[in-house]
Amino acid sequence: MLKVSKVSKSFPGVKALSGVELDVKGGEIHALVGENGAGKSTLTKCIAGVFSPDEGEIEFDGKVVQWSSPAEAKAAGIHVIYQEFVLFPNLTVAENIFLGHERRGKFGLLDHGKKRQDAVELLKRLGVSIDPDALISELSVADQQMVEIAKALVHKVKLLILDEPTAVIAGKEVDLLFGRLRALRDDGVAIIYISHRLDEIFELCDRVTVFKDGQFVTNKSVKDVNHDKLVSFMVGRDMSELFPHKAAKTKKGEERPVVLSARDISVKGRVSNASIEVRSGEITALAGMVGAGRTELALGIFGGIPTTSGQVTIDGEIFAKMSPALAITKGIGLLTEDRKGQGLAMLLDVASNISAADLKSVSRSGWMDHGREHDIGKSEIDKYRIASRGPRGPVLTMSGGNQQKVLVARWARTSRKVIIMDEPTRGVDVGAKAEIYKIMRQLADDGLAVLMISSEMPEVIGLADRVYVMREGVVTGELVGKDVDEQRIIQLATQKRAA
Amino acid sequence: MTTVASTYTFLTKRHGGLLTVIGLMVILALFGIFVSDRFSTINNATNIIEQSTALALVSLGQTLVVITGGIDLSIGSMVSLASVLLSGITKGDPTMMWVAIAVVLLLGIAVGLINAGATIWLGVHPLIVTLGMGAVLQGVTLLYTQAPIGKMPKDFSFLAYGRFLGIPVGALFTLLAFIATAWFLHKVPFGRYIYAVGDDAVGAKLMGLPRNRVLYFVYAFCGLTASIAAIFLVARLGVGQPYTGQNFTLTSITPVVVGGTLLSGGRGGVVGTLLGVYLVSLLNNLLNFLDLSTHYQLIVQGLIIIIAVSVYVENKRKV
Repeated sequence: MLKVSKVSKSFPGVKALSGVELDVKGGEIHALVGENGAGKSTLTKCIAGVFSPDEGEIEFDGKVVQWSSPAEAKAAGIHVIYQEFVLFPNLTVAENIFLGHERRGKFGLLDHGKKRQDAVELLKRLGVSIDPDALISELSVADQQMVEIAKALVHKVKLLILDEPTAVIAGKEVDLLFGRLRALRDDGVAIIYISHRLDEIFELCDRVTVFKDGQFVTNKSVKDVNHDKLVSFMVGRDMSELFPHKAAKTKKGEERPVVLSARDISVKGRVSNASIEVRSGEITALAGMVGAGRTELALGIFGGIPTTSGQVTIDGEIFAKMSPALAITKGIGLLTEDRKGQGLAMLLDVASNISAADLKSVSRSGWMDHGREHDIGKSEIDKYRIASRGPRGPVLTMSGGNQQKVLVARWARTSRKVIIMDEPTRGVDVGAKAEIYKIMRQLADDGLAVLMISSEMPEVIGLADRVYVMREGVVTGELVGKDVDEQRIIQLATQKRAA
Repeated sequence: MTTVASTYTFLTKRHGGLLTVIGLMVILALFGIFVSDRFSTINNATNIIEQSTALALVSLGQTLVVITGGIDLSIGSMVSLASVLLSGITKGDPTMMWVAIAVVLLLGIAVGLINAGATIWLGVHPLIVTLGMGAVLQGVTLLYTQAPIGKMPKDFSFLAYGRFLGIPVGALFTLLAFIATAWFLHKVPFGRYIYAVGDDAVGAKLMGLPRNRVLYFVYAFCGLTASIAAIFLVARLGVGQPYTGQNFTLTSITPVVVGGTLLSGGRGGVVGTLLGVYLVSLLNNLLNFLDLSTHYQLIVQGLIIIIAVSVYVENKRKV
């Protein structure tokens, strides 16, 4: 049904795909696995006509195709369920389901009755009870995912691609989804299933293709591989090389001091009564699925978004209301997930970005001292081994890993107590990842408390001394030291599924 | 049953603001009755509706643009240019009048297409594109004439003062235009895409929805309604003036946001806008009765627009 040969795709500064292969037959569920940044999503978008590949060929349904738009791919029978939903929050469930395939009555006009009726039936077939008249913005994330899946069933698909469909659903919903997918497979539909949860692949899929760093690794029948083998294909190297040591034991074996504790933090609609403690000298991780409320909790603690309940204690001082300015004064720094949007000033140079959170240190009696700023920039560039064109070089053209180091340098200078890092290695290559891990450990060893938010399981397990797991806005558990393992985290991050 | 349920949803969830607007209108009306006994006359009601024709038409076009998440700041100047061209070309000649009408209607559409094209192909925010376009159009208007120009045939004032079955012609036309647009948004798939584009432009692209066509359509429609508004204005004033449309840019946005259309796009509709138009007209009428200078109308409108947006921001957070 689909044959991808030697497809490459580059973005400025990154080669996302280099010469990958993928071969999916009608009537099979084909797993596509790999770590974040392996190129799975990029390939998906090439197949769906969002990107056009720089090199290589995509053959679909016996013809070499070159989509000029997503609409064309869709018309040919390719449907993608993206990890980031393509739902319209201000439209109703039924309107979303049939968007682009409107139910029409006389003269091609919209038939609202039929739309509603068909939506009800479709949702019933999926086994979920969702009000077709509800606005998408009123639904839970899990229900939104079910609506995404319902959309795929509206029209005849030949190739269905699902990117992490179970990231936000659990239990019964997953079983329902798998049932539908098997039925589609038996109807001859080709399905590409992208997931981080390897157990699902063994449960559902027929064949598996592994990508790593934008390259094709292998293609096997699921019967011929086991869990460990698959992991070694995905990671491609020994885990221990990537991660630094964990926090050293304290002398008397006691717990390290809590420097920041958050009690009963709630953020409207996203976080409810979450409590965590962050200790100096440790790397604490907030784990959980995308949308579990981790970022919102961290922002709530930092004062970046309003909280509806709770208090933050920093070194014994209690604050009912935080603000970013106050947090920074009290020695807390935050590296946002979105480096470009909220973190770096892309048009300023490296030194200005490093000094941005602490202009006092580069001023003399209220006036900027550019020489001093330059010197500080230079010393930080050396310290963190930032590849740049010097302190006055632009950050815009730097690689993701080096941009991240600039942010680390900025916040490490001002954070005397706690540094919060949201997805610190997102979009960063493996080499830079290892360096950032080392820096994080160094910061902790220097006595800082590091609070990390990460969706990458190996990162959480390899790096964190203490893990809080969140699910749908609630902290579902705390794991310390040896208890930090994949099994436990996944159990806490989802509901444990009946075996 | 279904109809009852969806009507309920329509009123409370999708258009909760409508009830607020209606409530405000009732309060204003009661206040008006209290202030002057000339307020609650058929004559005055007709007057309010008659005067709001041009505002209603520009707001209609503006509504669709705002639903896509854009804004059209060029319509004030568009109205000015269309009105001077209309009477300037006609010069009292009934035959030339038809030419002039065709010219201004086509011009409105063309300006809209250029606005949309610049937004799409240059990637410039519509706020800037239309702000620039507004300056260009005003400049062209002033090059063409700096004083009232030309004149319309006598019968042309029928559009402003005529009655059909006792209803002012302008009001009737407005009502039909709003019903047709509401019906279009509700019943034609393309109408749905207008909302989708405003709700999530990237998502719309991923879904393969015709984003560019939507933008071309709404800006062209907005330009067209501005031209039609100019026709009704000229009918009322008898002659095109180079500053006729000056206030329409701000005033066209007021009813839109008061009527519950989100400036961020994706939600709202023309029914709310029409109520918003009548609310604004009612308010202006009331200020007249209070013997306050018309300059107060600007102040009040400026305040309304800020308050209305803040009310809907609050509503959005609650959802």
